[in-house]
Amino acid sequence: MTQTVDHQPVPDLAPQQSQAELLEKLLRADIKRLNRFSNRGLWAFSLFILVSLTAWRDFPILPLPDTVVAALGPPPPPYIISIVLLFYTFSAIILSLSRMTAGLEHKSSFCHVGYLTCFFLFYHFAKTLDDNFWAVFGAGVTILAIESYRIWTFCRDAIARRSEQLEFLQRTGRMPPEDD
Amino acid sequence: MFKTLAGRALVPVGIAVTGFVIVCFLLLYSVIKNVVNRDTVGYATNLADTILRSTRYAMLKSDREMLATIIQNIGRQQGVEHIRVFNNQGIVHISTKAGELNRQVDKKAEGCIKCHAGAIPSASLGRMEQARTFTNGEGREVLAVMAPIYNEPECFNARCHVHPPSQKVLGTLDIGLSREMLLKSLAAIRNQMIVFTVMILVLTVGGVTALLRRSVFLPLQKLRRLAEQVEAGEHPEAHPSHFPRELDRIAQCLYNLSQKNYSTEEDPAAIEKGTVPKDSLGAAGE
Repeated sequence: MTQTVDHQPVPDLAPQQSQAELLEKLLRADIKRLNRFSNRGLWAFSLFILVSLTAWRDFPILPLPDTVVAALGPPPPPYIISIVLLFYTFSAIILSLSRMTAGLEHKSSFCHVGYLTCFFLFYHFAKTLDDNFWAVFGAGVTILAIESYRIWTFCRDAIARRSEQLEFLQRTGRMPPEDD
Repeated sequence: MFKTLAGRALVPVGIAVTGFVIVCFLLLYSVIKNVVNRDTVGYATNLADTILRSTRYAMLKSDREMLATIIQNIGRQQGVEHIRVFNNQGIVHISTKAGELNRQVDKKAEGCIKCHAGAIPSASLGRMEQARTFTNGEGREVLAVMAPIYNEPECFNARCHVHPPSQKVLGTLDIGLSREMLLKSLAAIRNQMIVFTVMILVLTVGGVTALLRRSVFLPLQKLRRLAEQVEAGEHPEAHPSHFPRELDRIAQCLYNLSQKNYSTEEDPAAIEKGTVPKDSLGAAGE
C-alpha cells in the first residue's frame, strides 16, 4: 500500500488516475465549447447583416405594409419607435458593458438580432424605413460589436485559464488551487 | 492591440460612444427632416388655399381669362414649378404649362390614387396625404399638393352654373413647389450635425484616451520599468514618485525590494543572519 507524507493510506491509485483523465477530458471539452462560443457574436452579426439586406430591399418576402396594417391595425408613430430605439440602444450598451465588467458568460447576441428585426419591421409597417434604416443599422452594428467583443474577450480569458489548468493537471495530476 | 491594457480599455468605450452618438445623430436628423417636410407641406397647402380663395370670385363668375391670368402670375413666382386646375373628370382646364391643357390625367397616377383608390372617390384627405414628391421632366425635385375645389351653396345656387348640389367636389387644384431650397437647408443641417458629431466623438474618445494615458498607462509604464530594473538586479536611481495612490504602494514595495537586494549584495553577511543593514531599512521606510 502506498503511504502519503502525512502517513494516510492512498485508497487506490487507479481511481485517482481516472479522475485526472476525466478532469482532463472535461477541460478539453470546455475549451472546445468556449472556442465554439467565441464565434457566437460573429454568427449573430452575420445574421443581422442578412436581416439588414432584406430590410434594405423593403422585405420582399413579407406582405405589403397596407395589408398588414389592415389586418393588425396601425403601427406606433415613427417618433415613438425612434424614442424606443434610442432607449433600447442605450440600455443594451450599458448592459453589455456591465456584463463585460462583471465577467459574466451571457448568451444574448441572437436576442438583439430579434429586437433589431422588430425595429426594422415596425419602421417598415409605418412606411418610414427609408428614413430610419441607417439608425437601426448603426444601433445593431454598435450593440453586436460590443457583444461580440465581450463574448470574444470572455472566451479568450477563459480558454487561457483552462489551458493553464490543463497544463497543471497534466504536470501534477491534480487541479490547481482556485484563484480568488 | 487587444492584449494591451490600453486596447482592452479603449476599444469597448470607443465602439460604445461612437455607435451611440451616430445612432443619436441619425435619429435626430430623421426627426428634423420629418419636421421640415411637414412644415413645407403645411406651407404648400396654405398656398393652395390662398390660390383657391384668390380665384374663388373668378370661378363663381366663370371668368376663365381672369382665372388663367391669376394662375399664370402665381406660377411665375420663384419656387413654383406648376399650377393646374382639373375638373372632376380629370381634364386639365387651366395650367401654367400650355402643353398640358385639355389633357386627361390617369386616376391611377401618383397624387390621384389616394382619393381614387376605391369605387367611390374620397372627398377629403389629411394634410400629409395631399402631398407627394417626385422628380419632374426637368430633373428637379418637386413637392406637389392637391387641394379639392368643393361645391358650395354659391356654386350650385348660381344661375349660370350647372353643378348639382349632390356633387361634392367640382375639381382639383394641383400646385408643385420646388424642393431645391428645402434640400439645401436639409443638407446644411446635416453637414452641421456631422461636424458637431465628429467634434463630440473626438472630444469624448480623445478625452477618455488622454485621461487614461495620463492617469493609468504612463504610471503603469513607469511601474513596469521599475519592476524590470528590480528583476535585472539594478538599483533604481531615484525614489519612485508621482504615482496614483493605488499604484504607489506597488512602486514602494518594488523600491524596498530593490533596496534589500542591493544591501544584501553589498553585505553578504546579512544573508546568513537574515537581516539587512539599518540604512537600507531606513531608506525603505521613506
